[in-house]
Amino acid sequence: MIAVLGAGNWGTTLADLIASNGHGVHLWTRLQNQRDEINARHTNEVAVPGLRLADGVSATSDLGEAVRGAELVLVVIPSQAFREVASELGDVLEPEQVVLTATKGLERESNARMTEILLEETCAKQIGVLSGPNLAPEIAKHKPAGTVVASHFPHVITVARKALSCPRLMVFAGNDVLGVELAGALKNVVAIAAGAATQMAVGENAKSFLVTRGLAECTRLGVTMGANPLTFTGLAGIGDLMVTCASPISRNHRVGAGLARGEPLAEVLDKLGMVAEGVYAAVAARALTRKHHVEAPLFDHVYRVLYEGLACDDALRELMTLPAGRDVGRFQS
Amino acid sequence: MLRAREPDAVQIEEEVLARMVDRVLARASGSDARPISEVINDTVYNERLRLRHAKDDERSRADGAFLARLRHELPHASMDRQRALVREIVERYLDEITGHFDARVYRFATTILPYGLSGLMQGFSLRGLASELRGSSQLDDHLLLEGEVKELVGLANRGTVILVPTHSSNLDSLLIGYAIYRMGLPHFVYGAGLNLFTSPLTSFFMHNLGAYTVDRSKSDPLYRETLKEYATVSLELGQHNLFFPGGTRSRSGEIESKIKLGLLGTGLAAHRNNLLHGVKQRPRVFVVPCTISYPLVLEAASLVRDFLEETGRSQYIVIDDEFSRIHRWVDFLRGLAELDLRVHVRIGSALDPFGDAVDAEGVSKDPRGRPIDAKRYLYREGRVVEDAARDAEYTRVLGGRIVASYRRDNVALPTNVLAFAVLELQRRDLAQPDLFRMLRTIGPDTGLDETRVEAEVEKLLAQLRVLEHDEKIHLSDELRTTDGRAVVARGLRGLATYHTTPVVVRQGTQLVVRDADLLFYYRNRLEGYGLLDAPRLYPAPCSGRRPS
Repeated sequence: MIAVLGAGNWGTTLADLIASNGHGVHLWTRLQNQRDEINARHTNEVAVPGLRLADGVSATSDLGEAVRGAELVLVVIPSQAFREVASELGDVLEPEQVVLTATKGLERESNARMTEILLEETCAKQIGVLSGPNLAPEIAKHKPAGTVVASHFPHVITVARKALSCPRLMVFAGNDVLGVELAGALKNVVAIAAGAATQMAVGENAKSFLVTRGLAECTRLGVTMGANPLTFTGLAGIGDLMVTCASPISRNHRVGAGLARGEPLAEVLDKLGMVAEGVYAAVAARALTRKHHVEAPLFDHVYRVLYEGLACDDALRELMTLPAGRDVGRFQS
Repeated sequence: MLRAREPDAVQIEEEVLARMVDRVLARASGSDARPISEVINDTVYNERLRLRHAKDDERSRADGAFLARLRHELPHASMDRQRALVREIVERYLDEITGHFDARVYRFATTILPYGLSGLMQGFSLRGLASELRGSSQLDDHLLLEGEVKELVGLANRGTVILVPTHSSNLDSLLIGYAIYRMGLPHFVYGAGLNLFTSPLTSFFMHNLGAYTVDRSKSDPLYRETLKEYATVSLELGQHNLFFPGGTRSRSGEIESKIKLGLLGTGLAAHRNNLLHGVKQRPRVFVVPCTISYPLVLEAASLVRDFLEETGRSQYIVIDDEFSRIHRWVDFLRGLAELDLRVHVRIGSALDPFGDAVDAEGVSKDPRGRPIDAKRYLYREGRVVEDAARDAEYTRVLGGRIVASYRRDNVALPTNVLAFAVLELQRRDLAQPDLFRMLRTIGPDTGLDETRVEAEVEKLLAQLRVLEHDEKIHLSDELRTTDGRAVVARGLRGLATYHTTPVVVRQGTQLVVRDADLLFYYRNRLEGYGLLDAPRLYPAPCSGRRPS
């Protein structure tokens, strides 16, 4: 039995995929109508319109029932609600249970990564992170994809692969938990810039330039904090950045586009109707780059566009007039 | 399985020998088999390499002859003979490792030790000796035992304890040995570097405080495994252990941020083995961090020289330091006594082998204080299983928690505070980014007004008191209750005594640094707390702990 906590579009999609692989899945949601819809009709129309969930998925609003006896607990809760659920999870989790987070974000104020929150709130130690270029709507439509599971515990990777691997999802392994989490969270900030560039119709050159500098900032910060630089060239790094920055269906991309149209942030988020992690990650990115003395002009300008009323075209003009330094840093082994 | 509170050395040796031989034989079969001859060849290769740089003494010659015999025999040895040779190698290693503990001698040694050290403090005066005989040992006045002492004593009755202190000086093992005795605990066994057995005086204490020998120059994997197995078996048999998880004395003076995980992992291995073998009586292992904070460190000059010369890694064991010269002990201990200085031994909160907090009853707690059944960390499909990769990660978590505990339980002392303030002022004045050039520049020409130093110490004290309030460090009583001026005076008395060259001296209204390297050493105990917005002066040691 596998527990999936969170019945948003990614949680529901993962629950369906795991059940399609022949595993029983307890999908946990606080919303009773959502639970009832899943159990009665095997659909979750608000989260994943048109998907008929695999038979092995059953929904529950009882966290204990969802988690008890589960070999793997997959936590897919938005970053800002993650701690609250993790704290409740701590009441029911047993030490031997494997926990995997599929949330790409950083907590506001603390700037904590999701695995850090799990370590602070629960007894879980066998923890991992799932990340990569995985647009939920595509996976829900059974389109092929690759993803990465990173953990310091080989057993976590084995369990995660057993649940997730199938001909439509290749699961790669890694042990750079920090790098994979940072890459997954920070690329959302870059995606906001890419969305704005798309909307502003400044051309593919400019967009590529912004995304590449964004990747350099992600890598610089990650490496300063102890991550493996190569992680940012993998699925969780460039892979995820490519899909998020290129796809107009990405939420963060849509946030950037809305801002470039001159809409206020509140209105953009209201229209979106879902959580855009980049909006929070921009705050954390600014705090972390300052804390670690990492130069990150793109992150900084995205923050100012989001929270200080800087217009997107002014931001681009400022970025273009900054002194150009070295393209890539010297390689240090 | 054998169970006893006081297993004798023979019992442990036999168990270790049997396990090691079984292990080598088991590895010789299976899909990724490692032939026994390869294991023996490895021993010959590593040991010959070691002997090239070893002192030419009786032990080295005997080792050389043994290796020559192995080389001669191996090409023609049958499988049975190869097995016998492995057994011989492990037996030789065990012979060297095993401490010759004798409970009667232990009692004698622990009774004599405080008086011996007190005697050294008083320069063997007759008056001092008379007062010793009338009352308690003077050592008690200079060794403050604080922290979770009661918890430790309680846990020692509920399970097997691994005490893991910080390591600044070779005196650590003697002081901890005495502290253990004073807490009324049975002796702890511990692995002490071979160099501690070279002088008759220390060798006496080492053997009789329950020490076994660790030769850090031996890189043969079979030797390292034998050592670890020795610790594991002794823990399984209920023998409390003492590890210095930093592996070596801190060269920079900074509290350990890098933990060696190999030996530390034996705690989890013993706990797991006990569960696998169904041991009911006290199967649990508790890990208790402990800090030792010295106002002055006996070997500070040699250690910091080693650090600055960056020879720490290659030299590894400084043999000819202050510890090997008895008159330096006398100076040091008398310095402590005359200046009424105190060494703080602070017992931290206990952890289980997975790094979880443990309460006084031995119950493991999750980070939010909820009780957990820690043995379930070892479960797979409802039962305890062996998994080396998993357990190595748990030990890494434990290492991180020990480091955090060290930082919290570090006791800041006036010598550290004065050194930190003086070096920070000098750094700002000189604006020299290169540490080595800065240290070479500091001297008679860079004196500081004492009032300026006092003001900086005041700032530092304010920050330290906030940190202590937030349970991020501990302060000695003087730092809690006195002002900057008193702390400067106290720090100066300490730093101007004992070391051959006084570290800082007062000249008129100025404080002048005479030994910048030692100033750096004493300052570093407060590195990493973000004090005075001072930058880190040297790269942080790589902890080997990946951020999780």
